[in-house]
Amino acid sequence: MEQLETFIVESPDAVGAKTTRTLIQDVLADLSLNRVIGRLKVFVDPVEPVFIFTALLRLGTPAIRLKDFAKVDMGAIDKDEVKIELIREAHAVKLLNKLWERYGKENIEQPDKKIIMVKTDPIKELDVLRELVIEEPQQEVMDRLIDAVALRIIPEGFRVRKHELSTSHIMFVASEDTLKPEWIAKAREMLESLREAEKNA
Amino acid sequence: MYEGGVYKHNHLIELVEDLGGYVLQKNIMQTDVVILMLVPINDMEIIEAKAKALLGKVTRAPLTGTEIATVAPTLAYHHLPHLDCDVAEFLRKKGAKTNMVGLARGVGKRICQMTAYERDLINEHDLAVFILGNYEHCIIEKSKRLYEGIEVPIVVTGAPELKVEDIPNATAYVGSFGRILHHMRHSEELRTLDKLAEVIGGVLDNVRKELAKDPPAVAPPRIKKEIEEQVQEIIDSLHPLPITLQMNGARVKLPYNEFHEQLENIQFVEGVTMKEVARVMPSKMRNFTLIRALPKSETGFVI
Repeated sequence: MEQLETFIVESPDAVGAKTTRTLIQDVLADLSLNRVIGRLKVFVDPVEPVFIFTALLRLGTPAIRLKDFAKVDMGAIDKDEVKIELIREAHAVKLLNKLWERYGKENIEQPDKKIIMVKTDPIKELDVLRELVIEEPQQEVMDRLIDAVALRIIPEGFRVRKHELSTSHIMFVASEDTLKPEWIAKAREMLESLREAEKNA
Repeated sequence: MYEGGVYKHNHLIELVEDLGGYVLQKNIMQTDVVILMLVPINDMEIIEAKAKALLGKVTRAPLTGTEIATVAPTLAYHHLPHLDCDVAEFLRKKGAKTNMVGLARGVGKRICQMTAYERDLINEHDLAVFILGNYEHCIIEKSKRLYEGIEVPIVVTGAPELKVEDIPNATAYVGSFGRILHHMRHSEELRTLDKLAEVIGGVLDNVRKELAKDPPAVAPPRIKKEIEEQVQEIIDSLHPLPITLQMNGARVKLPYNEFHEQLENIQFVEGVTMKEVARVMPSKMRNFTLIRALPKSETGFVI
């Protein structure tokens, strides 16, 4: 899939549309969101005034849990401990931070590069540890996306906003005045047309 | 503006002083030096010859000796850092002192407001540059209300190419700006900035012509020189440009309460004191002091 297969900025003001297009490109590049947004459609009417931003997302990998990159087992039989054996070291730093936060530094030992011992009740904690979320690339991307759209792209004066956000799409309607239902309907229509294009591609 | 090496640059400064000119600002950056100076127009050749001997370069900086406010609707990502800083920085390169003003509630075309404090602060400058956005309708609507009470010339920037007549209350307009969220470094963008400097230069030239009809009783560089010689504390001021020149006065970065009497009583060799040729007032910027030269029509003489 190519990045930004559809990128349309519609506005009665042609110059404004062109500058807004550059602006969106700049923001997406700044926050490295180019690969996240698949299709993008924006409508601006400064006279109304309304700003509608709709996009289809391609979020990529889901959350990474401890069991995805490590073997979690009971430690020595006579001790209350859990043994974590890392298969990949890529997330070791974040994992340690999470463990420190949860169990305290004094309860974590790392006798070997790839082995971490956690002093805790293994029966209770074993499953919790296996499912421990180490990294949430999706959430992090979402945060950046909201930063980009809500804080940088939408004109600052447009304080009245309605948004819809999911893992597959994002929709923002913003204005200076009370939002009109037809704007929201238009936003949904735009989103639908993007979905249509996605299906036909 | 002189750009050259540090070596022997004091020769140039001495020459400027001998010719009766003023050195306004000297910036030494490692082995380079940039000097902003005022030189009598008839003596330019002598300065140019000296600069050539020192392997430096003299250029005309049309905005020298002016203080310009660059005003953004707010200090948010929408305007900073790129566009605002680019404009401020560029005008600084052309010799102006720029101050950036971010309004508290300057956003929106219907809801924009400016407080009395902001208005007074902007009025202390020689000129205000309002950096606005992408849409023609918004720029025009906003201009109807935002500039109320601003007495200094207003230069507006925005994306569309508009005529000045279309924008209410504005003195000049420069297009091709808009809300740009990248560093302006392409050649056409630099040309746009050049155009802005040119337009501002033109506006300021008009103001100078107006001023010349009733000239200030004392030239601002003279105020600066006398303060530097008679108020020791200014040397210890760590503010950038402790005495900022304006077209008919200066901003002195010393607390008004402590220093206004000392400033008012500065002696000129012609036998007058500062308070006879200028008004010393508190500035809206921090606790600084503002000096405004009185016009000749009020004093009856020019020194």
